[in-house]
Amino acid sequence: MFGLTAHKRTEPPGWGSVCIFPAALTLALGLGLGLMAATGRPPAAVLGSILSGAFGSWRALEETLLKTAPIFLCSLGVAATFRIKVWNIGAEGQYALGAVGGAAAALAFPGLPAPVLLPLMFAGAALAGALWAAIPALLRLRLAVNEIITTLMLNYLGILFLDWLVYGPWKDPASHGFPMTALFAPGAVIPRIPGTRLHWGLPLCAALALGLWFFLSRTRLGFELKASGEGRRTATYARMPYDALVLLVMGLCGALAGWAGLIETSAGLGRLQPTVMAGYGFTAIVVAWLARLRPLAIALAAFLLAALRVGVENLMLDFSVPAAFGRILEGLILLCVLAGQFFATFSLRRAKAPGTAREAA
Amino acid sequence: MAAATPATHAPAQPLVRLEGISKHFGAVAANADIHLDIHPGKVLALLGENGAGKSTLMAILSGRYRPDAGRILVHGRPADFASSRQAIAAGIGMVYQHFMLASRLTVAENVLLGQEGAFLLSPRKMQAQVAALAEEYGLALDPAARVADLSMGERQRVEILKLLHRKSRVLIFDEPTAVLTPGETAQLFAAFRNLTSRDRAVVFITHKLEEVLEVADEVAILRRGRVVETLPRSRVSTGRDLACRMVGREVLLTVDKAPLAPGEEVLRVENLSGEGLDDVSLDLRQGEILAVVGVAGNGQKPLVEVLAGLAPPREGEVLLLGHPWSEFYTRPSWRGSLCYIPEDRLGLATMPGMDVVDNVLLTTRRGFSRGPLLDLGRAKTVVRDLVEEFNVHPRDPNALAWQLSGGNLQKLVLAREFYRDPRIILAEQPTQGLDVAATEEVWERLLLARRTAGVLLVTGDLNEALQLADRVAVMFRGRIMDTFPAADREKVAGIGPLMAGVRPGESGA
Amino acid sequence: MNPDLIVPLLAAAVQSGTPVLFATLGEMFTEKAGVLNLGVEGMMLCGALAAFVTSLYTGSPVLALAAGGLAAALVGALHGMVCLVFLGNQVVSGLALTILGTGLADALGTPLVGRTAPGFGPLRLPVLGDLPVLGPAFFQQDALVYLSYLLVPAFWFFFARTRPGLRLTAAGEYPAAAAAAGLDPIALRWAGVLGGGFLVGLGGAYLSLAYTHLWTSNLTAGRGWIAVALVIFAAWRPGRAVAGAWLFGGIMAFQLRLQAAGTTLPSSLLLMLPYATTVLVLVVAALRRGASRGSDAPEALSVNIEPED
Repeated sequence: MFGLTAHKRTEPPGWGSVCIFPAALTLALGLGLGLMAATGRPPAAVLGSILSGAFGSWRALEETLLKTAPIFLCSLGVAATFRIKVWNIGAEGQYALGAVGGAAAALAFPGLPAPVLLPLMFAGAALAGALWAAIPALLRLRLAVNEIITTLMLNYLGILFLDWLVYGPWKDPASHGFPMTALFAPGAVIPRIPGTRLHWGLPLCAALALGLWFFLSRTRLGFELKASGEGRRTATYARMPYDALVLLVMGLCGALAGWAGLIETSAGLGRLQPTVMAGYGFTAIVVAWLARLRPLAIALAAFLLAALRVGVENLMLDFSVPAAFGRILEGLILLCVLAGQFFATFSLRRAKAPGTAREAA
Repeated sequence: MAAATPATHAPAQPLVRLEGISKHFGAVAANADIHLDIHPGKVLALLGENGAGKSTLMAILSGRYRPDAGRILVHGRPADFASSRQAIAAGIGMVYQHFMLASRLTVAENVLLGQEGAFLLSPRKMQAQVAALAEEYGLALDPAARVADLSMGERQRVEILKLLHRKSRVLIFDEPTAVLTPGETAQLFAAFRNLTSRDRAVVFITHKLEEVLEVADEVAILRRGRVVETLPRSRVSTGRDLACRMVGREVLLTVDKAPLAPGEEVLRVENLSGEGLDDVSLDLRQGEILAVVGVAGNGQKPLVEVLAGLAPPREGEVLLLGHPWSEFYTRPSWRGSLCYIPEDRLGLATMPGMDVVDNVLLTTRRGFSRGPLLDLGRAKTVVRDLVEEFNVHPRDPNALAWQLSGGNLQKLVLAREFYRDPRIILAEQPTQGLDVAATEEVWERLLLARRTAGVLLVTGDLNEALQLADRVAVMFRGRIMDTFPAADREKVAGIGPLMAGVRPGESGA
Repeated sequence: MNPDLIVPLLAAAVQSGTPVLFATLGEMFTEKAGVLNLGVEGMMLCGALAAFVTSLYTGSPVLALAAGGLAAALVGALHGMVCLVFLGNQVVSGLALTILGTGLADALGTPLVGRTAPGFGPLRLPVLGDLPVLGPAFFQQDALVYLSYLLVPAFWFFFARTRPGLRLTAAGEYPAAAAAAGLDPIALRWAGVLGGGFLVGLGGAYLSLAYTHLWTSNLTAGRGWIAVALVIFAAWRPGRAVAGAWLFGGIMAFQLRLQAAGTTLPSSLLLMLPYATTVLVLVVAALRRGASRGSDAPEALSVNIEPED
């Protein structure tokens, strides 16, 4: 194309991994701002509004950090499943089930003290999310049912299940008809870090990231995960427990997404209501891919995408931009990064120049 | 079109002439100043070891690469191919090792793809057209069959028809017999004869000496990117002669095989049936190599899969190191047990995108475990030693598997598997596609391994079987026809008929 | 059974199945050429919006229909750009397209929520429409439903009996073979992406022009995803796609009827029906595939075409 031919790189480009990501991000933002300009909103002011909304004050930064946590947890799980080439896009539904599982514990034992009740809620959320994620995993392993579709359908089902609970059996009689449970007992609310609006879910995230990184790069099971992601046939040849690994990562993802749902329910809202569903499970996919599935990079990418969400909320106030603009930006970013990764594996040359292909003989 | 040159021995104008072709990849000269004439009505064998530049040269001729220097003359006129499309238009077509066929489409659809004629298709007419072409060249094929249902030999015929339909005058074959059974090879060579009798030129790339002797009219020998010799078949006396010219030194095509005292039994198969196997029984002792020979597709694959633990036995019994199959494979030990060296080196035995250390860890990871952790530092040290000991190039433990040549990859697989101190070795086509030097190294490793293990060698290469094996088992249609010592000359002479299902004393079925 | 109950349900099933049918055929078309496009949901919404806006401003449903198809093809072109030019992962790119497409339709459609636009109304076919049972069920529908009746055999004929159909199949089965035959597999795949995108857009346009005549946010409600599932269920055969799409139409119509009839069942549970059925349908398809385990998918589906050297 354009008198250029693409050649597979024989070694990774030194500058590539550093440059591609910011370039793609800039391009996506540029396209988004162009869209804003086309609808009569000055791009510079729009960008300013996003940035000040996300980072402009301590309060803004707190808000960004708070949104980072659920995105990060979901993304960590999603990345683990993508790694083994299980296309799990069901974090959203697993998040919903986690919120339900946590709320179930909170509503069942309101009298328990926090040190007992909170672990119970975490266990409930992890269990519910993991079991929800196990359904598509088992369908894929036993019947070769495409997991992309099943995880997605389970998203709809999970959200509707949550809706049914808060519209029906779990509805607070004192809510004047609003779909929500009663407020959780104090022992069921994740406490805040004193002097801030941040809660203890955030340090937990940091610990989980380190743990997962260590698991993937230093343990035998982590190596088996990595290898199984490279190719299923060889994994079988090398006697890796592929089925068990798929179940493991799906369960892990369900548990992590479930915790995200729990944290948002318990620390964010203090009760279960439909607004807990904010599409973090889908943003998590964008984040996982931006970070190229690496746990520590996911932390950074989750922070950036959380900042984008908070910034767009500010934009809604300043320029009455519809909330969906955030999704447009997320989609654009993901598309640009996907296209940009081309340059990490291929280099372009003038069509007639000799190639450096490896010898085919 | 120039008038076809009569198929006489007169040095007529060549169909295609390569003049001073050179091609560099980075600092490596894949082809250097190559001169070659391709005559109609002749089979030209392009002989050389792996990496000698055969494939690059043919890629240039078929328009996939452009040479850095030199020119191609077709009918005496210079031609510059920017793509394989242009080469095909000039009458030069290539049959690749991996067939370019859509397996869900029919033979007729594959042959006519891109040249369908009318906008509306009539399957009946297309099939009749292809049937007529196949008839003309004596290539037996059902044009309505789906390619997925065809044997490798039949698929190759589809490829030939594709070229003939495009009026190719030069047909290039890249190692065409690698995927064929002996019977299919004979059919292919007959097709070569048929093609040359119709004034087409056939070029085939190979490193199998006996094939050159059997079918070639002319031989061009490539060594390190240069044509070192071009000579008519009549001037070649023996395979050994050819091998010397190819490698540039005297090669030992025989290996020193001193029999060892057989040790304890490591493998016993009794009345194994199902999945294409029919009442298979065999046994293997430490200290011996048992070669399972036969035409590909006669049950070798299912046998290997059961023994390697990839598929459970349906009927009959398998004892591995004295344990029944299910017990052995419940929790197989990584060491001192069974290792499997599969035919598919890149993609089954190794992961193309992972480095050498990770690829060694694939099957040895339990040996580097400390609790749940992996000792990567020790793994790296061990890999450095292994790479040295087994002469794997490059020595870099961080090299990715796809960057290794076939021979080096196979040596890496051997290094890894032998590190596991196996008692049973399942080696499947261990030297397929390897050059002479690498073949020798692999053979010696396998002979050496007999000291501590029993080796089950599954091979389609009869020469390899006779060179290495202490005993030979012949398979046909899922059955073991006979098992006998490799030294039994009388039995060995009867292997050919046995592979076709004919026992001595019986007349041809 | 009482035809007075069955016939209206059948007619409603056909009507609400039609957008899913268009989308399924569109995705099937793209996948036949070897490209997996999971952006159907987003493309469908964009098609629905473009059609609605065009109809609102021109008053011409035909023009609006074309606009719907073109808009979806345009969104699909982004997928083509990422996967065919830049060799991005097809699964992830499709997801990105859904995120982008639903976002675009939502953002641009916000001011239009609740407005109505002219579209396609029922058109009773002569003779056929007068048949007992079949007439009211199948031949008193709108023009787009009849278009879908024609599209299904045309789809089959295209792939089984025409030159471009064969070439498109080759690009989906083994692009290298197509290239070796002198064809340009990347161009063929572009045709698959754009042509399939257009059909998906018709499905979206059906929703806003014939199904509702009214703009609401998230008009598709997962129909795009159901279409992706139906391609698998239909094993890449257009005839089976009809069965699948109408089955879904039936379930959606049934569920709406129950709600309208004032059932005591909670609406959240009723809304689960189409999604639960999708999972069920895939399980059934898997069981039917059963022992053979062979996939019906085009061999090179979702595998990108890399440069030769």
